[in-house]
Amino acid sequence: MDLDFTEEQQMVIDMTRTMLEEHCDTQVVRDAEDDPKGYPDALWKQMSELGLNGLLIPESYGGGEQTTLEGAFVYEELGRAMAPTPHFVSCVVSAKLLLAAGNDSQKNAWLEKIANGDSILSPAWLEPQRGFSAKGIAVKAESDGKGFKITGRKRSVAYASSADQLIVLARTDAGVDLFLVDPNASGITMKQLLSQGREAQYQIDFDGVSVSADDRIGAAGSGWETWTAVMQEAVILLAASAIGGAERCLMETVEYANARVQFDKPLGAFQSLSHYMADASTSIDGGRVLVHEAAWNAAQGRSVARLGPMAKLFSCEAYRETTRVCSQIWGGVAFTIEYDQQMFLRRAKALQLTWWDTPYLEELIAADVLD
Amino acid sequence: MDFDFLPEEQKFADEVEAWLVDNHDDEVMDHHRENFSQLSDTPERCAFMKKLAAKGWLGMSWPKEFGGQEIEGVYEYILNEALSKHAAPQIGKGVGIIGKTLIRHGNDFQKNKFLPMVLNAEVEFAVGYSEPEAGSDAANMQLKADKVEGGWMLNGQKMWTTSAHFADWYWVGARTDPDKKKHDGLSLFLVNMDNPGLEVVSLPTIGKDTTNQVFFDDVFVPEEYLVGERGRGFHMISEALDLERFTMFTLSPIAHRSEVLVDWVKEATRDDEPLKDDPNIRQKIAQIVTDTAVAKALSTRFVCAAKSGGKPPTIESSQYKLFTTSLSQRVCKDALDIQGHEGAIMEGQDDAPLRGRFEGAYRATVNETVGGGSSEIQKNIIARRHLGLPKNF
Repeated sequence: MDLDFTEEQQMVIDMTRTMLEEHCDTQVVRDAEDDPKGYPDALWKQMSELGLNGLLIPESYGGGEQTTLEGAFVYEELGRAMAPTPHFVSCVVSAKLLLAAGNDSQKNAWLEKIANGDSILSPAWLEPQRGFSAKGIAVKAESDGKGFKITGRKRSVAYASSADQLIVLARTDAGVDLFLVDPNASGITMKQLLSQGREAQYQIDFDGVSVSADDRIGAAGSGWETWTAVMQEAVILLAASAIGGAERCLMETVEYANARVQFDKPLGAFQSLSHYMADASTSIDGGRVLVHEAAWNAAQGRSVARLGPMAKLFSCEAYRETTRVCSQIWGGVAFTIEYDQQMFLRRAKALQLTWWDTPYLEELIAADVLD
Repeated sequence: MDFDFLPEEQKFADEVEAWLVDNHDDEVMDHHRENFSQLSDTPERCAFMKKLAAKGWLGMSWPKEFGGQEIEGVYEYILNEALSKHAAPQIGKGVGIIGKTLIRHGNDFQKNKFLPMVLNAEVEFAVGYSEPEAGSDAANMQLKADKVEGGWMLNGQKMWTTSAHFADWYWVGARTDPDKKKHDGLSLFLVNMDNPGLEVVSLPTIGKDTTNQVFFDDVFVPEEYLVGERGRGFHMISEALDLERFTMFTLSPIAHRSEVLVDWVKEATRDDEPLKDDPNIRQKIAQIVTDTAVAKALSTRFVCAAKSGGKPPTIESSQYKLFTTSLSQRVCKDALDIQGHEGAIMEGQDDAPLRGRFEGAYRATVNETVGGGSSEIQKNIIARRHLGLPKNF
């Protein structure tokens, strides 16, 4: 057993952190909130140039061909910076879907552009009044002989306004399938819905949108299996970002607790407050090792059907609880827009609610353990 | 980064596991004893420890000049986890706190006398730190050690000495220098439990076994049984706890309880329906197995920090102890909630679910968040030494 980073891994971490400190301070994060586009070009360009956008994509498509473990290290930094980028939807989920099930022409068309940041792809998955399971997919793709016509409403489609392609999960006669869809196709309307995490996300209506049979990713009816396998691994990266956000939130709070004086002593000298912080640090440090264990297992090619969901379940709750107690320590100022505390607090809860929420993760774990 | 044992470590783990299966004995290994299963307090358990000694598994990490093998502490970790998984006695205080402190600070007489006894499983120790006025405030020990001709005269009282009713030797902190600051006035002694001035009074608990009060009435301790430097007692105690806290609360019993609960839930029914189909129970199980994975992660963190050498893994061990002992209680509570009214049937009766394993464990684990440094003490350590917050008490 060994928890050390290799020299190369440490370099990736340092490089990512340095870049984010320069290009993604909290003013940059604030400026991106509620913005229809939702991410700064300068940051995206930097990420492309440093190879972060192609990090998990094979070298043959111009990527860095790194594993989920390196991905987790980078995501801890992205989470620490609260970086507003379409990296997760495009460079992780969409790229992994194409790699897992795409045909050569689909992979050739998009993977290199995803890796160098020229194209953004985003999955259109969730729907109103529907959940995270396969039952949640009600948007229809009806065969019309030549291809399919897609009809229905999707929610929480991140960075859709910048997307070059959407990957739509839709129900066909064969089950659930994944379709590459041009967001400018006729029959598509988008509306931005503001969210607690304040990233750019859209509700999209599909009104008989035509796609060709060649735009289906994978064999007929295989979409849900592909989606689930990709998600099991992808959520590990979100768990890593939760750890990064939680740790920064805690460290800024510790600094404040050492400086702010009440009753003639620093806040940190009050046991009730210092114990909040000790508990938070324990959850963060334990959660980080669980995330690394999940990522390491994924990198070894082992199943993460249980570890992936466990990593996200625990880390997102650790993040949420950390922001709760930290707000308590900051006191009234945590409630104001002016202070950065609120930015962590909102993101922590939003992250817990999306990309598999607590009840869904619990059920995935329970099914793996009990059934 | 690597979450597997090295091949040679895995080979050792497999060897120990196979040996424990071969040497299974209900008299020696009993999960219903919970934390007290780690003690070798009966002739059968002492005989078992002698078998461990014959395997060369005691003192593996000690220097060769004292009969050890100078191999990494991770092997002792593997061994202790395997022992506790089988509810067998553990290598315990002799190899750990006492043996390692003697190796670092003991005199030649002590090393020659005690270290071979530890390696051969010929001695059981009791540890006496706590007192009526020294609980979490461990440095406040008041047991008096007065300098007399040829040694020391001890008078006063100890509390919570778990092994006092069967131990051979007593590892005791006492105040030799009352005029110095409280942390600097304590010294460590080895006291023969046969000393006529000692009175052991049993203190029954709601757990599985008894603990004890020990009264000292003119207990004479010869000079050569003062351990290390006079006045350094508290510092040696802290140092040893930093290094050994981990071995006091192994993960395996908690992981084992989670497994026992999962296996039970898979088979149990209520109102003729499988219990495992109850959404509330599924949720509890998911949380338990996830938290158990985090406890394992914190133990991995501790082991890796200990392996890397350098400073003692104080922070890692405090975080592990804090999280794991609280989880241990939570698992028992959830298990009883899952079992419902039948959970309250007292342990030991065949009609109780799992013969009352969790009813008993619920009681037995109450002390885990208190003994060996309470959760609050662990949080103080984390707050000050890890986060750099000011002293808060």
